[in-house]
Amino acid sequence: MDFSSNLIAGLSVTLQPLNLTFCFLGVFIGTLIGVLPGIGPVGTMAILLPATYGIPPTTAIIMLAGIYYGAQYGGSTTSILVNIPGEAASVVTCLDGYQMALKGRAGPALGIAAFGSFIAGTFAVIGLQALAPPLVSIALRFGPPEYFSLMTLGLVILTYLAQKSIVKALMMAAVGILLGTIGLDTMTGMPRFTFNLPDLLDGVGLAPLAMGLFGVSEILLNVERKIKLEILTTKVKGILPTVGDWAQSIWAILRGTGIGFFLGILPGGGAVLSSFVAYAVEKRLSRHPANFGKGAIEGVAAPEAANNSAAQAAFIPLLTLGIPANVVMAILLGALMIHNITPGPLLVKEHPDLFWGVISSMYMGNALLLVLNLPLIGLWIQLLRVPYAILFPLILFVCLIGSYVINNSTVDVALMLLFGVVGYLMRKFEYEPAPLVLAYVLTPLLENALRQSLILSGGSFTIFFARPISSGCLILAAVLMMTSILPFIRKRREKILAEEEEDA
Amino acid sequence: MSAERVSVLFWLTVGLISIYGSIHLGLGTLREPGSGFLSFLAGCFICLMAMIVFFRSFLSGERFHVKISTLWEGLRWHRPITIGLLTLGYILALERIGFLLSGFLLLFVVLKGVENLSWRKALLIPFSTLGVSYLLFHFILKATLPKGIFGF
Repeated sequence: MDFSSNLIAGLSVTLQPLNLTFCFLGVFIGTLIGVLPGIGPVGTMAILLPATYGIPPTTAIIMLAGIYYGAQYGGSTTSILVNIPGEAASVVTCLDGYQMALKGRAGPALGIAAFGSFIAGTFAVIGLQALAPPLVSIALRFGPPEYFSLMTLGLVILTYLAQKSIVKALMMAAVGILLGTIGLDTMTGMPRFTFNLPDLLDGVGLAPLAMGLFGVSEILLNVERKIKLEILTTKVKGILPTVGDWAQSIWAILRGTGIGFFLGILPGGGAVLSSFVAYAVEKRLSRHPANFGKGAIEGVAAPEAANNSAAQAAFIPLLTLGIPANVVMAILLGALMIHNITPGPLLVKEHPDLFWGVISSMYMGNALLLVLNLPLIGLWIQLLRVPYAILFPLILFVCLIGSYVINNSTVDVALMLLFGVVGYLMRKFEYEPAPLVLAYVLTPLLENALRQSLILSGGSFTIFFARPISSGCLILAAVLMMTSILPFIRKRREKILAEEEEDA
Repeated sequence: MSAERVSVLFWLTVGLISIYGSIHLGLGTLREPGSGFLSFLAGCFICLMAMIVFFRSFLSGERFHVKISTLWEGLRWHRPITIGLLTLGYILALERIGFLLSGFLLLFVVLKGVENLSWRKALLIPFSTLGVSYLLFHFILKATLPKGIFGF
């Protein structure tokens, strides 16, 4: 099937009333949680996972996907109006977005963020649609050694990009693998680390784990502090950017789109990294770099385009290879597996409606987000005024009920609370939860790939180096780990991260 | 003791337990890896990383010598403990007294007892939240919510 046929096939799925409704619901909820600090797309998707059990898998994935890229749109609103990023990928938008708002230009900042995100998202979906079929044909040649090596590379990249200690991030990845082995061994049927608890025979659930580590732990961290949002009281007007604004921003948007797209595809890369890189590139290329940090519109356009483009591009490795590029995609992978769908190169053949339907839904989602974000800015501002003292009990309650309805078991709720406490302590002691969750989701695939590879090779690890794609991935992973250990490179990396933190 | 070393000791314990449990499960052979193979590798890796962090904590550098008490300095540390205990109480009560009553009590105690909101808000918010969530989970998503000894 060619590009246009695939698009039409996808749109025929997307435009079904149920899918359209849930697409709207997903982007609306995504924007909402992107606007509200205190919970991000990972926690929200984990909370809504149980709610997707009763709907068809295509509809479920359309909604969950909408939450992810919707959150990128919403995150820019708080960055610009409150100088607090609603979403991690919107940290950089604070630098110039808030400065523009202080100068009375909140409207054009919000407008260019929304339009830039729309343009970037649309281009990224076109790229996704164009790249997916050839990638699938390459992936069909993958065997267990290639899968094992690519997943290992993905884990290493994610830990390489860890904001804090790489060693700790690697440790958390190993802990995630350990958690992933809990339950029945699929090859031998032997229970592992279940401590004779029948509820653990199916393993630790993804929803309680993610809700605990990202939802409950965030609440526990936030209640320690006094959260007060200073919302810009001036009325937001003039949302449509001027011709001059467009002239300054268009190339920033296009460059941000390209940067976000290529970084979003990389396992371990994603929206956060791409927004930082896009901002840095614009500042480097600008004729007036001194304007950055003081309200340069390119400083809003580029990172917002990049983070949205990356959010769409991140679907490529998931849908074509079955490998999640980041922790959000890991949740989506978990959602697909809960619906008995194994993503990978055979997905397009076995579930073409899901494959093309999800991709096409992003066109619709981007259009809906443009409509939602601009006229409803007043509503989002009102929502920001809801005190955290009211918000967090509601979020906590939804987490509790969400974890209960999975299996009608209080064991899942207790596990969620346990992981919430563990996640709280992890963050206190500077251990990141993202590598843990990604490794946890990858473990069943990783273990199968490892064991099958060793069986194929008669117990020899050389099989991973005898095949070019596999050896390439492992060599790259080793190089990244070495560069993280070598002192002078480590210091340079820490300096760059510190400078970015200071700027933000 | 520094926070870094305390955390490392915890993860080292996790790693050692994993190694012990994996050996018990059976490592198999390289030709035919057993149930404990991957968890054994993970446990060894955790222990190795923990040792690296432990030895690194003896280096100079402010962040390696932060005491545990410093992590909670200036923060309202009793609040996460309170929320955690209230949540635990909710979990224990959920199937005994039912979704509606346990949910109401949790929200009311948090909003009034912990956050000290007005009586009006502390009563209105739980009622409306429970109403919406019951509608959503019970009627729309057809989830089974526990009724408890009072039948609701």
